[in-house]
Amino acid sequence: MRRVVITGIGAVCPHGLTSGDLWKGLTEMRSAIAPLSAFDPVAFPSRIAGQVPAFKTMDYVPKSYRKATKIMARDIELAVLAADGAVRDAHLVTRGVMETFGGKKPDESWFEVDSRRIGCNIGAGLICADLNELAAAMAPAKGDDGRLSLQKWGKSDDPTKPSGMDLLTPLWLLKYLPNMLACHVSIIHDTQGPSNTITCQQASAGLALAEACRTIQRGHADIALVGGCESMVHPMGLMRWTLLNRLTTQGNQHPEMACRPMDQAASGTVIAEGGSVLIIEELQHALARGGKIYAEVAGLGASSSARGIAGPDPAGEAMAVAIQKSMKDAGTNPAEVQMVIPSGYAIASHDRAEASAINHVFGSLRPQVVAIRGGLGDAGAGAQALDLAAAAMALHHQTVPGAVNCTNPIGGLHVPQQTHTAALQHVLVSTGSIAGQNSAVVLRRYA
Amino acid sequence: MRNRVVITGIGWVTPLGRTIDEVWAKLLAGESGIAPTTLFDARFFPTQFAAEVKNYQLPENLRSSGKHEEISRATGFALDAAHQAWRMAGLPMPGSKESSTVDPYSVAVYMGTGDAALDFDNFTQAALGSWNQEARGMNMAQWGQRALHSFNALREIEQEPAMPISHLSMEFDARGPAINCLTACAASTQALGEAAELIRRGDAEVIISGGAHSMIHPFGVTGFNRLTALSTFNENPKRSCRPFDATRSGFVIGEGAGVLILESLSHAQARGAKILAEVVGYGSSADAYRVTDQHPEGRGAIVAIESALRDAEMQTTDIDYINAHGTGTKENDSTETFAIKGVFKEHAKQVPISSIKSMMGHLIAAAGAVEAITCVLCIRDQIIPPTANYSVPDPECDLDYVPNHARKIKVDVAMSNSFGFGGQNDTLILRKFR
Repeated sequence: MRRVVITGIGAVCPHGLTSGDLWKGLTEMRSAIAPLSAFDPVAFPSRIAGQVPAFKTMDYVPKSYRKATKIMARDIELAVLAADGAVRDAHLVTRGVMETFGGKKPDESWFEVDSRRIGCNIGAGLICADLNELAAAMAPAKGDDGRLSLQKWGKSDDPTKPSGMDLLTPLWLLKYLPNMLACHVSIIHDTQGPSNTITCQQASAGLALAEACRTIQRGHADIALVGGCESMVHPMGLMRWTLLNRLTTQGNQHPEMACRPMDQAASGTVIAEGGSVLIIEELQHALARGGKIYAEVAGLGASSSARGIAGPDPAGEAMAVAIQKSMKDAGTNPAEVQMVIPSGYAIASHDRAEASAINHVFGSLRPQVVAIRGGLGDAGAGAQALDLAAAAMALHHQTVPGAVNCTNPIGGLHVPQQTHTAALQHVLVSTGSIAGQNSAVVLRRYA
Repeated sequence: MRNRVVITGIGWVTPLGRTIDEVWAKLLAGESGIAPTTLFDARFFPTQFAAEVKNYQLPENLRSSGKHEEISRATGFALDAAHQAWRMAGLPMPGSKESSTVDPYSVAVYMGTGDAALDFDNFTQAALGSWNQEARGMNMAQWGQRALHSFNALREIEQEPAMPISHLSMEFDARGPAINCLTACAASTQALGEAAELIRRGDAEVIISGGAHSMIHPFGVTGFNRLTALSTFNENPKRSCRPFDATRSGFVIGEGAGVLILESLSHAQARGAKILAEVVGYGSSADAYRVTDQHPEGRGAIVAIESALRDAEMQTTDIDYINAHGTGTKENDSTETFAIKGVFKEHAKQVPISSIKSMMGHLIAAAGAVEAITCVLCIRDQIIPPTANYSVPDPECDLDYVPNHARKIKVDVAMSNSFGFGGQNDTLILRKFR
């Protein structure tokens, strides 16, 4: 059986633009949640967000591909950054990286990849069109009733002037297709192996990792770029989550304390953006090229709560099944898992169901439970990718980051209040999406 | 040793109808489901026709009725098609007396579906009512107020691409893995291939798999019209989609769903299910070439077809029929032909190839699923559907496209290709069960 290890991590999140920034933010137990500045949220009851610091996408793509940055929605840009970070962290020389090196790799620690043997599986969310871009095109086609006139939108009265739709760039649709994250990344890095885009909201990245691992185990690839990225920091995203009552409205004064996962005072989640791309690699391949190994992907499990947007059943039964499957797949048991990263939205009903699932599986063993949304917010399809990055770094550094904003844990959970070193054999990442898809991943220390 | 994967149920909702045999008869007769657009006023769009599912109503016999309010068209199509497939497979409905014979955690869902349409009236009213033309920017305070007042929470969340699988899991109490992939026009072929892999390694016994999609809405058609990918042959919609023909001028947007029940052979045999066909090969690749164009030499398509053949342990001479991606765009059909010739070499001219998109349009994320169902029916009935509207040969497309008339042939093995915008390529191979 081919084993799969993690050999590179790229992360983009409110703590910064690199996996190092993520780890530093986590271990320093900081919250990066702040007043929302991407647009004016004054009309909304929740006006805070976890936003990624400023960056120029141009800096992360080879010169020959810079033109394409014009057709990248925010979600795509995040994936391009995360992939660049991951590939460089793993010391892989892909087409894109080679161009920035001027055609010659810096030293022997860099490995020139075989493009046909690399896959790409990046989870994505629903990407909303940019409101200003679309409204600017719609404005000349406004009908007398205040709606868009489809007549003016489709065809101009004056043949010398463009119609409404003509004002949109010809490639407009491609900015917003969810598979464009993987598409741009695959072009930049020339990954010609199996490529997929899983859209299961917050559980996307774990399911993408599982699928890509199986691809490598079957022998269809040796390396894959996997993860997920999303920006929920969009007026439509904020509107949707406000109407669904998922957001805390108590954090506008003290944003850094707003998101309280698995805490008795949890009052709702916070929208955020970000994500991560991991390099996963067949073990012998990684060893042969002298790659740095963060952790082994040991076990994978998935299930569905089958209750629609009602979310998990209160007992967390389906989530517990996914966790148990992942442990069985890893050939391990609860006693050998020292740390759990749950989704921990800070949505009380969801958190309680997750706590029940953890307690059901672990009983009195009480592993350390750290929900990283406390300092980052919910980055949708990027969230579990950040959880996976955190888990891999925890195993690599043998360190448990302390929890942010969880001083009174629910369900008797063991939530570390300080960052500390620990002997970690296994870390479990367990996520339940808002629409009921569950993904559990067990990572194992590689030593 | 991997598990064998068989198909025990099929169901679809298409522009040609909503039952397996009704649609199949029309495909064999070369009938068209393409007509002037009715779902919105498209009279002033460059393309004024589409392949719509006519007079669609959600079936009344849904189990968790009341939990499907405000669902998108695609979710409705998916539920309908899945009910047909589930019934054909003879699986018990959850809550029925026999339901204890199926472990809910062994039933998975893997679909290829896309996002649903924006709430057009509320979206355009909120945006236009808050737009400041002088500043060329949105007054966000105003937009926020309007949006919170007018948008419907459920209708908004139902636009998420994960919602069709969420409803399917609930309806059939499927508690195994629930996955949706969205690789544009390749999505449901990829879903079926990856679903088969889940069964092969024992992660599920039964999978509800396929695709569902509708992009026949103002912004969907706008997007494809701007890309100039759609046919604008408004004078005769029924003749608008002409795959492999020298006069082809673009694809025709369609909508619908196709659902197949995949099952491990041992599970199907243990319950005495009737087996329709076997999934024997799956191949997947990325072009990694351009956002807008396929690789001109079909590099990725060739890899997908070759790896599906290898997966099935078959030679090109084993393939009796190819159900083409065949969209009717200049680029796709010549590239696909090039790729088939690249893999099949001399034998390419002997393999009949047809595109049902000539009749039911391009169902986007759902296209691969209805095409896989078509392959199942070819194997069942030993007959293949034609490529309709074929009249002028193109020197770049010089293979046997089964022009205009269905053909009775031996079909033991059928191959189906799907290629997506963004460069994902997927190929499935189905075989008569024996």
